Amino acid sequence: MSSPFEDVLAALIRQRGVLGCLVVGESDGIVVDSNVQVGVAENVVAALAASLFRRARLSSQAAGLGHITFLQLEAEGGHVCAVGREGLVIVTLAEPRAHIGLIRGAMLASVETLT
Amino acid sequence: MKTHVAEPWVEAPLQRFVDDARVLFALLLHPNGQVLGQFGFTRAVDVMAACALAAGIHASAGQLGRELDGKPFRELYHAGRERQIFIGEVLTAREGFIFLTAFGDESSLGLVRVFFAQLSGALAKVVPPRVEGPPIPAASLERDLARSLAALFGRASAPGDDGDPVPDPRS
Repeated sequence: MSSPFEDVLAALIRQRGVLGCLVVGESDGIVVDSNVQVGVAENVVAALAASLFRRARLSSQAAGLGHITFLQLEAEGGHVCAVGREGLVIVTLAEPRAHIGLIRGAMLASVETLT
Repeated sequence: MKTHVAEPWVEAPLQRFVDDARVLFALLLHPNGQVLGQFGFTRAVDVMAACALAAGIHASAGQLGRELDGKPFRELYHAGRERQIFIGEVLTAREGFIFLTAFGDESSLGLVRVFFAQLSGALAKVVPPRVEGPPIPAASLERDLARSLAALFGRASAPGDDGDPVPDPRS
């Protein structure tokens, strides 16, 4: 069965260095749809990334900075990127060599599909 | 806040779950309703009630799963307006245990499920082997239930400790 997010995820996974991308419920951290490489613990990533995005969103609002447009976490072994809208979050996992600018552009374009 | 346990091997995994998942309440119990550890409860009577309800819900859900799917349901989730409840079965080499937790906005179902899986794995590693013995008579079972509560809340909170007969709640 196809989901409305299939095309969005397919476009993101094609980016160089992307290990996986997921659409996750922001409040419950449950995977709605995903396209990840073998070995990615998608349920764990989804739950933690959704929690991170939610807290970042609340922090941003509390600080008077408004909505979050793009969240990037840079770690030793790669990147976690997230964008969100209407209670859904798109999460992308990428290797250190990935071109974050391209991924960011693709994610910001994709966020419009989250309704 | 700190967890309270009736058996020491439960403490570290349960405390870690509570710290990581940021839940409001947590309860680990035998399928017979005897509590092993808890977090968030302040009264023995609440733990007793929650244990009885969790054991009943788990048994009902297990049977429902067998009827519908040929195998018991192992996880249950209920969403309230502000608080949510998750009940899961912890499988170990010794026996299965029931885990109940309630959480609010600080956590999420996804986080609870992730850290519940870690809790199950940690408990399975540290659970002591079963001690075989004769069948437990009803009076002894009630004394064990009361003793577990006493270990969590202090002697005054649990009747029937020290081998005293447990008062019949119907009388």
